[in-house]
Amino acid sequence: MRYFLLAILPFLAIFLQSTFFNSYSIKGAVPDIVLVFVIFYALLNGGRKGAYYGLCCGLLEDLFIGRFIGINAIAKAITAYVIGILQGRVFEENVIVGIIGVILGSIINAGLLLVLVLLNFSAFNVNELLFMDMLYQTLYNALVAAPIYIWFYQSSRRGLLKGTGEI
Amino acid sequence: MLLATMRYTSSTRAEITVAEKLLRDSYAPLQSGLNEMRRGINGLGLHFAEKKNMNAKIKQLNREKAQLTMENQRLQEYEAETLRLRKLLNFGEENKEQFGLEYARVIARSPNNWFKVITIDKGAEDGIAQGMPVISPDGLVGRISNTSQHSAQVTLITDREMAVGVILQDSRETRGIIEGTGDSYSLAMINIPYYAKVKKGEKVITSGLSEFYPKGIQIGTIQSVKRESNGLLLSATVKPAVQFDKLEEVMVIAKYNPVSESGINEGE
Repeated sequence: MRYFLLAILPFLAIFLQSTFFNSYSIKGAVPDIVLVFVIFYALLNGGRKGAYYGLCCGLLEDLFIGRFIGINAIAKAITAYVIGILQGRVFEENVIVGIIGVILGSIINAGLLLVLVLLNFSAFNVNELLFMDMLYQTLYNALVAAPIYIWFYQSSRRGLLKGTGEI
Repeated sequence: MLLATMRYTSSTRAEITVAEKLLRDSYAPLQSGLNEMRRGINGLGLHFAEKKNMNAKIKQLNREKAQLTMENQRLQEYEAETLRLRKLLNFGEENKEQFGLEYARVIARSPNNWFKVITIDKGAEDGIAQGMPVISPDGLVGRISNTSQHSAQVTLITDREMAVGVILQDSRETRGIIEGTGDSYSLAMINIPYYAKVKKGEKVITSGLSEFYPKGIQIGTIQSVKRESNGLLLSATVKPAVQFDKLEEVMVIAKYNPVSESGINEGE
C-alpha cells in the first residue's frame, strides 16, 4: 500500500498542477506539488532514498511535459539528496521544518533547473520574469506545504506511508 | 544518459515515445472530465452562511435568492460560452475552406512555470499533427509540439523557446521577430530595423514567411518601443491579442500550405 501510494502521489500532483492549480495561480505561478512530496519524502527518509524518489517523480513529470526529458529528474533527485541530509538533524515533527525544507528545496531545484536548461538550450529566454516566477512558485510551494506536511508526516509515522523498516 | 536525453528532447520532436503517449492518453480523459465538471459547476462557489436564529421566511427568501443567483451565474456562464462559441463559429466558417480548421477544447495547462504549453482534447486520431498552427478568433495561439492519440500539446507563442516572424499591419514593411517572454500578458518584438517607424498601438501580424504560420494572423499590439544598446535595432513590447490565461477553445489549422519564399527563421 505504501509503495502504491508513493507512486500515485506524483500522478495526482501532476494532474492537479495541470488543471486545478492553473485556475488558482499566483501571478501566473503554479505550485510544484511533485517537488513538495519529494522534499517531504527526503526529509523523512534520508537523501539516498529521497534521490531515488525524486528521480522517478521528476522523470514522470518530464514524460508528461515532453521537453528536456531528464531535467526534472536530475534536479529533483539532487534537491532531494541535499534536503535529505537534514534527516535526523532537525525536529521533523515540527511543521515549520517542512515549510523551511520546501523553501530551501524550491530554491535549490529552481537553480538547478536554470543551470540545466541553459547548459542544454542557450536560446532559452531568461529574463527577470523567470526569477519572479521562481519566487512566486517558492512562496506558493511554502503555502501548500503546511497542510501536506501534516498529512505526510502523520501518514509516514502512523499511517499508510509508514515504512516497514526494510529499506 | 539523462543529460543526453535532455539534449535530444530540448527542441520539438516529430514523434514522442510510447511512454509519453501512454501517460498523456491516460491523463487526457481525467483532464477532460475535470474540465467539463468545472464548467458544470462554475458559479457554485458562493455559499450562504445562514444565521441560526433567522425566521423561516428569511431562510426561504435566502434560499430563493441563492437559487436565483446561482441560476443567474450559470446563465451568464452559458451566455459567455455562447458568445465565445459564436465568435469561434463565425471565424471558423469564414476560414474553414482555406485552413481546414479543427476545433478543440483546452483541457490542461503546463504543470510548471518553465514552459508555456496547453493540452487540447484532439490528437493524432483527429488528424492533428506536429507543427500545425493553433489559433483563436483573437489571434495566434501557438503550434502543436507533439500529439498522442487523443490529445495534443500546444506550445504557446509566450513560451520562452518560441519565435514568430512578424510584420506591422499598417506599414507592411517593418519586419521583426516575436519572442516569448514566459509572460502571458507580454511578448517581445526584436530585430526591428532602427529606421522603422513603429508607433504605439500598431497591430502586429504574422509575416507568412515561414513554413509554420499563415500570413496575417494577429499577434498583438505595440505597447512600447526602445532602441537596442547596439543602436542598430529596435525592440518593442507587444501586448498579445489572445488572452492566454482564459483560453478555453482553440482551432488547429490542419491544411496550411506554406509559401516557399525564404525569409525569417522562426519557430525554433
